[in-house]
Amino acid sequence: MKKLFSLILAVCLVLSMASFASAEEKTLPTFDQIVLGENTDLTAKIHFAYHRTDIPDKLNGYVAEFRKIYPNVEIEYELITDYAENALMRVDNTDWTIMGIPTVQKDELSKYFVPLGSLDTLSGQYNFMSSWSFDGVCYGIPSTGNANGVLYNKRIFAEAGITELPKTPEEFIAALKAVKEKTDAIPLYTNYAAGWTMGAWDAYIGVAATGKDTYMNQDLPHAKDPFADQGNSTGPYAVYKILYDAAAEGLIEEDYTTTDWEGCKPMLNNGQIACMVLGSWAFTQMRDAEGGQHPEDVGYMAFPITIDGKQYAPAGGDYNFGINAKASYEEKLASMYYLKWLTHESGFAFSEGGVPIDKKGAYPDLYAAFDGIDMLSDADALPGEETLLSELNAESELNFNNGGNTKVQEIVEHGFNHDKSFDDIMADWNTAWSEAQTSLKVEVK
Amino acid sequence: MSFVRTVQPDLRKKRINWQKAAVIVLFAAVPLFLLILFTYIPFGKMIQFSFYNMSYTKNKGFVGLDNYLKVFTKPEYVDAMLLSLYYMAGAVVQLALALFFASVLSLERIRGSGVFKAVLFFPFLVNGIAIGYIFKYFYTRGFVLDSVLQGIGIPLEALPYWLRDQRINNWSLVFTSVWKYCGQNMVLFIGAIASIDPTLYEAATIDGANRWQQFKAIILPGIKTVFMLNLILSITGSLSAFEPAYVVGSMGANGTATFFIKIHQMAHVSQKVGQACAMAMVLMALILIFTVAQRLFFRYVMKDSESTFNAKANKAKALW
Repeated sequence: MKKLFSLILAVCLVLSMASFASAEEKTLPTFDQIVLGENTDLTAKIHFAYHRTDIPDKLNGYVAEFRKIYPNVEIEYELITDYAENALMRVDNTDWTIMGIPTVQKDELSKYFVPLGSLDTLSGQYNFMSSWSFDGVCYGIPSTGNANGVLYNKRIFAEAGITELPKTPEEFIAALKAVKEKTDAIPLYTNYAAGWTMGAWDAYIGVAATGKDTYMNQDLPHAKDPFADQGNSTGPYAVYKILYDAAAEGLIEEDYTTTDWEGCKPMLNNGQIACMVLGSWAFTQMRDAEGGQHPEDVGYMAFPITIDGKQYAPAGGDYNFGINAKASYEEKLASMYYLKWLTHESGFAFSEGGVPIDKKGAYPDLYAAFDGIDMLSDADALPGEETLLSELNAESELNFNNGGNTKVQEIVEHGFNHDKSFDDIMADWNTAWSEAQTSLKVEVK
Repeated sequence: MSFVRTVQPDLRKKRINWQKAAVIVLFAAVPLFLLILFTYIPFGKMIQFSFYNMSYTKNKGFVGLDNYLKVFTKPEYVDAMLLSLYYMAGAVVQLALALFFASVLSLERIRGSGVFKAVLFFPFLVNGIAIGYIFKYFYTRGFVLDSVLQGIGIPLEALPYWLRDQRINNWSLVFTSVWKYCGQNMVLFIGAIASIDPTLYEAATIDGANRWQQFKAIILPGIKTVFMLNLILSITGSLSAFEPAYVVGSMGANGTATFFIKIHQMAHVSQKVGQACAMAMVLMALILIFTVAQRLFFRYVMKDSESTFNAKANKAKALW
C-alpha cells in the first residue's frame, strides 16, 4: 500500500514537473514581440464580447480580412447592448476569449486578463496604455482614443487673418478679437443657457492647463490655492481667465441667457460662430449638423495653453481589449495576433475619428492641428484616495467635472457685467477649496 | 310585543355601529397608510437628516444645528430667500388683476364674457415646463416680445435684454408666473362673486350706489374667504417659486436662483442631503410663519371692515 502511494506521489511529481516544463516552453510572447504573418497555421476559436452593436458588418469585415492571413482562426463577435454590466458579471467566466475590459479593480486585473507586456515598453509604441495597467504591467490595449481641444471654423479664422493657431491664452483672446473686428461671426459661443456646456470647461484644468497627468486626481485634492494665478498663463486660473476675458471684452454671444444647444451646431458649421470649447466627441455633431452647409470648415485645435513651450491635450482611451487568462494557450496566442492586427492593420481608430493607438498610425483630419501636441490621460487617484476628489467637490460645492455648471456660468456673468474681478472669483474658489480640505482633514502639500 | 320592541332597536343600533366602524376603519386605513408611508415617514426622516452631514451613500455623522446655521449665515442663501420678494410683489399684482377681471366680468353684461374667461384661464392649463419654453423664446433678443415692441415703434436698441440684464430678469420671470396663475385666481373669484345674492346689487343700485361702492361694500366682504385662500396660496407659492427660474432662467443662472433651486442644487449636484433637508425645513418654517402672520393680520383687518360693513348695513336697514 505504502509503495502504491509513493508511486502515485512520484508520478504526480513527475507529471507536475513535466507540465511546468511545458508551460515554460510555451510562454506567451508579449504584445510587442508579436509579428503578423508568423504562425499562420495557428488553429483556435475566439469568442469576442464587445459593446459596438451599431457596427456588426464592419467587425465581421475585420474577421474576414484577418482570416486571409490566419485561415484556421475562427472569430465570433458577441455584441451586447448593456455591455458594462454584462461584462462585469462574466469577467470571471470562460465563455469569452477577448472582451472590452469592464470596471474591475486594478489589483484584480492579473486574475482575469493575460499580461500584454510591460508598461514601459508598450507605452513607447502605443497611446493610452496606462489606463488598464497595474504594477507596470499592461493588461489591455485600447480600441481607439479621444482628445479634448477647441472647435473652430477654419474659414472664419482665415478671414480674420489668423494664419497660426493660437497657443496661449493671450494669442487666443487676440484671435477672438480679430474675429470680432474682421468678420460677422460670434468669436466664442459659450452655450451658457444649456449649463453642462459651461461645466465642460472643467475638462481642461488638468492635463491641458498643467501638462501633468497626475494633476486632476492626485495633485488637485492636496493643492494649496489651486486657483491662484501662476503668473505664466498656465494652471486652472488661466483656463477660466480665457472665459472671463472673452465675456468682459464682449467676445461672446450677445444674449447668452437664451442660447440654444441644437441651434448652435449649424451655426459653427456655417461660420456664424468662430469657436466653441467642447470635447472631440462634439466634432462629428458640428460637422454633420442638420442645416450645415460647410462641413469642411469645422476644425479642431488644442486648448490654447502652453507649458514650457509645449501644448498638452487631455485624452483617454476608449474600451481596452483584454484576453481571458483562463483561455488555452492557442486561444491566447491567436487573440494576441488578432489584437495586433486590429491595432495595426484594421484602421478602426482612424475610421471612428479617434486618436490612433499605434503611435505611428495616422490621425484623422480632425486632429490635423494636434501634431506635436502631447496627449495624456488623467492618472488614477492614489490608492486609498479614490473618493477624495468627489468628496472635496461636494464639500466645496464647486463640483469640477461633476455638474458644477453654475460656477462657470457666474464667471461669464461677472465678466460681462464687470461687477466682480476675476481674481476675486478665484480667491472665493480657493477659500471654498481650502475650507473643504480642512473639514475633510486633507493633507495640503 | 313590548319585549320585541325593546330588543330590536338595540340590535339594530349595535349592528349599525359595527358596520359604521368597519366602514370607517376600512375607508380610512388605505389613505392613512399611504399618508403615513409617503408623507409622515419621509417627513420624519427629513427632520432627522437635517441634523446630519450626509450624502446619498454616506453618512458622515451628526452635526447638530450646523446645517441650519449655514442657511442663515451664507449670504447666497439669504439672497436666494430675498428673491421671493419679487414673486410676492408679483402675487399682489396678480391678485389685483384677477379681482379686477373677475369683478368686471361678473358685474357688467359684457358680450362674449365666456370667451374672455376662457382666454384668461387658458394659461393655467398649460404645463409649467411648456410655459417656460414659450417664454424663453418670448424673451430672446429679437424674438416675440422685441418684435411686438418694435411693431409699436420702439427701436431695438432702446429695448433691454429681458433675461440677461440682472436688474430686470427677475421681473421677467415673475411675469411668467403672473401670466399663468392670474386666470386661476380670477375663476375662483368669479365663483365666489356668483354666490353673492344678486338682490344686494339691486338694492344698492336703488340706493344710488355706484360700481365702485358696490364693489367695496358688497363684493369684497362677500368673497373674503376665497380672497384669503388665494392670497395665502400665492404668497406661499412665491416662497417656493421654482419653475420660471428653472426653465426660463436656465436652472437659476444669472442671479435668478430662488431658494427652492438652491435646495435642488444642494441635493442633486453637490449631493449634500443633510444640508438640503435643513434648507427644506427652513423653507417650510418660513411658509408656516407667513401663513399664520397673514391669518392674524387679516383677522383684525377683516374684522374691522366686516364691522363697518355691518354697521353700514344696520344704518341702511334703520333708514329703510
